[in-house]
Amino acid sequence: MLDLRTPTGWFFSILGVILLGLGIFAPGQASLTTLNVDLYSGLPMLVFGGVMLFLARSRS
Amino acid sequence: MKLAPVDYLILAIYFGFVLGIGWRLKRSVASSGDFLTSGRSVPVWITSLAFLAANLGAQEVIGMSASGAKYGIMTAHFYWIGAVPAMLFVGIFMMPFYYGSRARSVPEFLKLRFDEKTRGLNAITFAVMTVFSSGVSMYALGLLLQLVLGWSFTASVLLSAAIVLVYTFLGGLTSAIYNEVLQFFLIVLGFTPLAVLAVAKAGGWSGIESRLPEVMTHSWRNLSSASQNPMGVDAFGLVAGLGFTLSFGYWCTNFLVVQRAMAADSMSAARRTPLIAAFPKMAMPFIVILPGIAALVLAKMNVGYVLPLKGETYDYDQVFTTLMAQFYPSGMLGVGLTALMASFMSGMAGNVTAFNTVWTYDIYQSYIKKNAPDAHYLKVGRMTTIVGTGLSIATAYVAQHYNNIMDILQLVFGFVNAPLLATFLLGMFWRRTTGHGAFTGLATGTSVAALTLSLTVAEHKGGWIAELHHFPSTMAQNFYIALLAFVSCFVVTVVVSLFTKPRPPEELQGLVYSLTKFPQETGVSWYRKPAPVAVLVIAMLLALNFWFR
Repeated sequence: MLDLRTPTGWFFSILGVILLGLGIFAPGQASLTTLNVDLYSGLPMLVFGGVMLFLARSRS
Repeated sequence: MKLAPVDYLILAIYFGFVLGIGWRLKRSVASSGDFLTSGRSVPVWITSLAFLAANLGAQEVIGMSASGAKYGIMTAHFYWIGAVPAMLFVGIFMMPFYYGSRARSVPEFLKLRFDEKTRGLNAITFAVMTVFSSGVSMYALGLLLQLVLGWSFTASVLLSAAIVLVYTFLGGLTSAIYNEVLQFFLIVLGFTPLAVLAVAKAGGWSGIESRLPEVMTHSWRNLSSASQNPMGVDAFGLVAGLGFTLSFGYWCTNFLVVQRAMAADSMSAARRTPLIAAFPKMAMPFIVILPGIAALVLAKMNVGYVLPLKGETYDYDQVFTTLMAQFYPSGMLGVGLTALMASFMSGMAGNVTAFNTVWTYDIYQSYIKKNAPDAHYLKVGRMTTIVGTGLSIATAYVAQHYNNIMDILQLVFGFVNAPLLATFLLGMFWRRTTGHGAFTGLATGTSVAALTLSLTVAEHKGGWIAELHHFPSTMAQNFYIALLAFVSCFVVTVVVSLFTKPRPPEELQGLVYSLTKFPQETGVSWYRKPAPVAVLVIAMLLALNFWFR
């Protein structure tokens, strides 16, 4: 059966890359915060996606 | 809320993955068991997260942050008192019967333990309930997207229903479970930044405490009488009504969640499913309730945030989405919206798959066509997916036109599991309980609940026959109705059982506590055994309640 860690890993890696890209090259604005929200939220997603992919590979 | 192209891109990527998972899982579906019960082959980490996520719909996220703004940290009782103890109980004491009896559904367990009519009653009630819940979930989704983004109600309902239909039709229960796990991660990774940003902006927990009345930041201190707290409940109503009957009724007997544990690949995994799920469950209030409390503080701080209004009164249900719109730039806004849509959709899918199993095995196979080859039931299961989704869409439209009926139904569904809990406890722990007793008790308990609702009033709800008693809040009303339903079912079941003939002990092996050998876990490390995991959960639960007392 399909190992769920593989699609989960890819999904969050892709999200992480998109958000990091936005955070670095085109940081957006939100009215209540001055932080680079996309950058700081994208990083954990990319890490999580990477860990999932690593676990899926190391098991199979 | 204004979306940028990148937000739509993120939403589209999510839809792509969801459909892709369904398509890949299609290969592993060869029998009706694969389709309707996942062939009992899902790893424990997946069943645990699905056990949690099946209950974590978007209505819950939005509703809990709304309650956070309305009632403060007391809302966390819905998790700490109202879920975790019941999750421990179902894992330790009830899963051996569910999983060990080889029953494929909760109604089927009732058939094995009691008789055909008890199963029939439960199967039909449950089937109706799931269709309505899934319809209400769709309705809420359509309404939210219309309000926040200006999307058409019909377009959002049909699009999300179509996606749910495709992935459950292809991969069945496994597909629904896999997507629930994906949704769970999306909620955690997509909403944690919002909670952190909102609480930090409000000055951290100490800032919140200094700016709000004491009742909003303490969960136990103001419970000695109903008039002291905004929830309008007292400690007894809370612990006995919510903590025992409502929560044990829901987590221990509702097939929607129990089905996730029953899909696990071994008895040990099935028992650990609710226990492992209890850890993230305890932490959920920090993601869904804290933003609501923080919103209340932000509105007082003059930083440019105002609580959303509907006419003259606050519209707390919009707290979560307004926070998202003001803290998230495009990109994360797309992720947040995707997480909301994902949880609506998996709420639908959960109900549709539970409906499938109960309809196919407990109604179709039992009353309409017995003894057909398995391929036939697989086909029926697939067709039921289409019918179930269609019925849900119809319900969503009914809900759009008759708001009040939906309110009442949701109130009724709120306590429908309470009498069932009495039936299960007696059935599993008292071998003298008979089928006649169970059936009469269940029917009495449900009628008592309906009658109490018709005779009492709270916030202008209920009291259609007479107004004998006023409750300070609908929440208090709901707790006490559940309690009465439970007690009446319990008493009637015991009395009728004493006057009817019990089944011989040899028929009840594996179904009743005193006649079942409990699984012994030997030769595995402690964290793979149910009891030590449960002790750890209890210790953390006590610490949380003490901290936020």
